[in-house]
Amino acid sequence: MSWEFLAGQFAAQFGLWWLIVPGILLGIVVGILPGFSPQNTLIMLLPLTLALPVDQAFAFMVSLYCANHLAGGIPAILVRIPGSGGAAATTLDGYPMTQKGQAQQALVLSFVASVAGGLITTLTTLALLPWLSQIGLYLRSVEMVVVMLFGLTLIAVIAARDTLKALIAGFFGLLIGVIGTDHIYNAPRATFGFLELYDGVPLVAALIGLFAISEALVMIEEKMIVADEGRARAMRASWADTLEGLRISLRKWWHIVWTSFIGLFIGIVPGAGASIAAFVAYQQSQLWSKHPERYGTGIPEGVIAPEAANNGVTSGTLVPMMALGVPGGTTAAVMMIVLQYHGMVMGPRLFQTDPGLAYGVFVAMAVAYIFMVFTILPLARYMARIVLIETTYLAPIIILVTIVAAFSERQYLFDMGLALVFGVIGYIAHKTNYHVTAMLIGIILGPLFEQYLVRSLRLSEGDIMILFSSTIGNVLWGLLVLSLVLPPARAYLKRLRTANA
Amino acid sequence: MPRKASLGADLVIPVLALGFAVYFFWSIADLGWEAKANGVLIGTVLVVLIAIQLARMGNQLAQGTGDLRADPLWLPRDVLGKRVGMVVIAVAFIAVLEWLGLTLSLLLVMGLALWTMGVRKPGAIAGVSFAVAAAAYLLFIAVLDSAFPHGPVEQLLARLFH
Repeated sequence: MSWEFLAGQFAAQFGLWWLIVPGILLGIVVGILPGFSPQNTLIMLLPLTLALPVDQAFAFMVSLYCANHLAGGIPAILVRIPGSGGAAATTLDGYPMTQKGQAQQALVLSFVASVAGGLITTLTTLALLPWLSQIGLYLRSVEMVVVMLFGLTLIAVIAARDTLKALIAGFFGLLIGVIGTDHIYNAPRATFGFLELYDGVPLVAALIGLFAISEALVMIEEKMIVADEGRARAMRASWADTLEGLRISLRKWWHIVWTSFIGLFIGIVPGAGASIAAFVAYQQSQLWSKHPERYGTGIPEGVIAPEAANNGVTSGTLVPMMALGVPGGTTAAVMMIVLQYHGMVMGPRLFQTDPGLAYGVFVAMAVAYIFMVFTILPLARYMARIVLIETTYLAPIIILVTIVAAFSERQYLFDMGLALVFGVIGYIAHKTNYHVTAMLIGIILGPLFEQYLVRSLRLSEGDIMILFSSTIGNVLWGLLVLSLVLPPARAYLKRLRTANA
Repeated sequence: MPRKASLGADLVIPVLALGFAVYFFWSIADLGWEAKANGVLIGTVLVVLIAIQLARMGNQLAQGTGDLRADPLWLPRDVLGKRVGMVVIAVAFIAVLEWLGLTLSLLLVMGLALWTMGVRKPGAIAGVSFAVAAAAYLLFIAVLDSAFPHGPVEQLLARLFH
């Protein structure tokens, strides 16, 4: 791959701005709405993308896909409603920033972390594609069990503030995540007789209920979602706040880089996704922070880490598809349909037979991220004004629109009712301090954890020692133990130093 | 004198979780170990955690630092009507969606929800309801062609534009 070739690719993709910009705008709209995943949107738009030449179709699809990942953080920050599972961890610090009247700064942090994280990992993927494609081969079920446990340890991190309640919420979520047929015999478990639950609890319904509906039911207690001081600050919001957000982002550039690589590596593994990447990145960010106790109170690192990782996933997901012919996720599978419709055969040969397309996909992604800076950054100031809307208007809109969105994932009316049930559970959890985020982590990671665990145990015919049978796995186990031991050890040393001082 | 903890409210999630865990164990009783292993592991830990929580609450009750009130779930009482109203309206929305279609049902329940929340300006109710219903129609029906139930509005607009 020469520089001339690359320059030509970039020039060609910039020429497709007329598809990239609408793709970004549509991606932002559907990304803000919980329930509209990029794969659903791309499936609905297949008549359009199949009719376009393949390079144009890909420019449109990757723009929509990347913008969708970025936009999920917007409602997570403004109203504590993650637009997707990947943005759930963003609520932990994004919403507290909004409550402090720093919604605009939080949005800018999220946009810069998303764009920079996405751009860095896309360029890295372009440069190291042959090597990166091998990662998916080394991370098998055994190693993925440990990666899942990294995500689950976030429950313990949240639990540090109210141990027993958070653990109950987390394990309740994990058990809810096991609802549905098992991976070996397809036998239904705890489905309450509903066929709609055979595929498991739909994540979107759980997400909408636990966050959006429950939050709306709580927010009606106040006239506005921000207190007087925060409201006054939001009303004074100006371009200076956008610049302040940019300045903070630039100061945290290294944080963006390393957390985005967590997203890239997790994204490469088929089946893993943005949710696990964002949770692991948040957990690692807190673990290595000099002030871990400030996480959850509205600090920039708590927004940067999940957002950078969430967007680092985007290029990673496409690596196994382009390099090995194995779609890394549902969105990649939809993209593969379009490629196959045009007679393209995925896999290593594509880089010889059609390098323009093979590398062009990642160039299109990089160009989409560049366009996103100019499309979305100026909007932060206006988006932040949503906190000035009275809850008498905001709450009904949130409840009814998100119930509509709950239908979108699987097109079942059942899911709308389920979202409402989760909304009531989430409301009770809110009011009694059982952490809904811990519950959601369980619901998201429970099925994935089971899938990898059972697969590993099947390989070893039930011998649990298989989990300690690979070098990479054992290194990951070591890091996991370090993740769990380090925070209490540091807290102990800090107490010791304070006592000696 | 410090206010007693309202343990009745704190009991709801553990009781729900415990009930679900029992149902879960019952539903997997006859399955193979691969289908059970993960659920049994998680469920057992959950039951142990709930037992610790119940013991903690029992201790608080015995010491007189807590009682079985559930008022955090209802307070503040002045918004209880609005809160219950929103849930009832959401249920009604799901119930009428199949007959009235997305646009009309959303228009009607949005108006009703705003009124329940205390909005009394007819212009604001009509404007917001219309804007939300129109946006939902444009995005979900016109652009994305979702499988939402079609009602009189969707059928009329389909006749006009096709």
